[in-house]
Amino acid sequence: MSALLSFRHLRKSFGERKLLDLGPFAIGEGEAYVITGDNGSGKTTLLRILAGLEPGEIAGFEFRGVPLTHGRLPENVRHDIVYVHQHPYLFHTSVVHNIGYGLAARRVDGAERRRMEEEAIAWAGVGDLRSVPPHQLSGGEKQRVALARAKVLKPRLFLLDEPTANLDGEARGQAIALIRQLVQDQSSLLIACHDRELIELPGMRRFHLENGKLVAA
Amino acid sequence: MDILESTRQAFALLFSGDAELWTIIWISMRVSLIALALATPPAVVLGYVLAHKRFPGRRILIVLIQGLLSFPTVVVGLILYILLTRQGPLGSWQLLFTQEAMIMGQAVIAFPVLAAFALAAVQGADPRAHETAVSLGASPLRAALTTLLEVRFAVVAGVFNGFGRVISEVGCAMMVGGNIAGVTRNMPTAIALETSKGDFAQGIALGVVLMLFALGISIALGLLQGRGGLK
Repeated sequence: MSALLSFRHLRKSFGERKLLDLGPFAIGEGEAYVITGDNGSGKTTLLRILAGLEPGEIAGFEFRGVPLTHGRLPENVRHDIVYVHQHPYLFHTSVVHNIGYGLAARRVDGAERRRMEEEAIAWAGVGDLRSVPPHQLSGGEKQRVALARAKVLKPRLFLLDEPTANLDGEARGQAIALIRQLVQDQSSLLIACHDRELIELPGMRRFHLENGKLVAA
Repeated sequence: MDILESTRQAFALLFSGDAELWTIIWISMRVSLIALALATPPAVVLGYVLAHKRFPGRRILIVLIQGLLSFPTVVVGLILYILLTRQGPLGSWQLLFTQEAMIMGQAVIAFPVLAAFALAAVQGADPRAHETAVSLGASPLRAALTTLLEVRFAVVAGVFNGFGRVISEVGCAMMVGGNIAGVTRNMPTAIALETSKGDFAQGIALGVVLMLFALGISIALGLLQGRGGLK
């Protein structure tokens, strides 16, 4: 297994409170990881630091074997990592625009962009939501659009923060089905969650975050 | 003074297409819209940067902008007059008593309003909007534009407020425009002049137009707030 992302040490403190104090950790290419832990244990913070959205003290940080100085991630790395919020934010435009946003940022235009958008829309089963204003979507629908918006970019690493939190019934099942497909497609995933069904998906490597340390579960 | 008769004459002036009256309205619109067009882009950029970045002097700049919100327009006019007068540092530009001088003054007056609204809009934006843009690979410029688009209703509300402030201000326009008929006479300065001359009809007619503008702005703001509330 070649490491997609790795670090030797990761620390994060808020004032006097040390939230994260992690030792060596590596995410393998094509592997799926789930991190459990109590609320406030630092799961979200860890994902946000790896996504470059929050500062953290990282030693020996590497992505695809290339050393990184944390702070602002280089553009090629930012394009390889997509972070999805616990409550995904959809731009107040349209479902299709949301799904194509990252493609536009990568200057994928015209027919190719439309083809990729349609593929992602079909994958997430959100075709019937095209004409619905994003702010009117339910939590589950927003989550599916956000997953499609991430998948269309074919990132090397998905960072998913509590993707089934506050979802129940069919919406939760649909989100889990999409994530199961990502795992089966051998996408690299790091998921923070409490959802038992998601944690027990086949092929998932499990870690538990407690007292700032990450331990295999 | 017969108010009813003056009001009747005022509406007669408005609807008869009185050239002098409509020139005054045209000058007002032209000066205020150009001033806004010039002030809006830098003010919105400043508002965004102040809301989004942390740098030394940021707090001072915010306090300065907030202070300028209530800065008397006549003082803006005074400062500009001193700068533009023949002996002033910008005297060689020969802009005093021109529409360009009025535009400069109104742009200065509108700037803090526009910047303060943009600052408040971006500060009030959902932080996930910018984070999502960044996480999806947007460049800093694209992420900034995306964030501003997400709060466009609040930013445009600032533009309407800025317009309301400059279209009705009299102090600066009078000082640097000079109230020259057909050149720099706009609605507020004309109202002041006609009233002092006892010609209430034209004053009332222009007052009606100004109030219609104010009403239009209120309606537009209400509609914007309604649309923004749909989020």
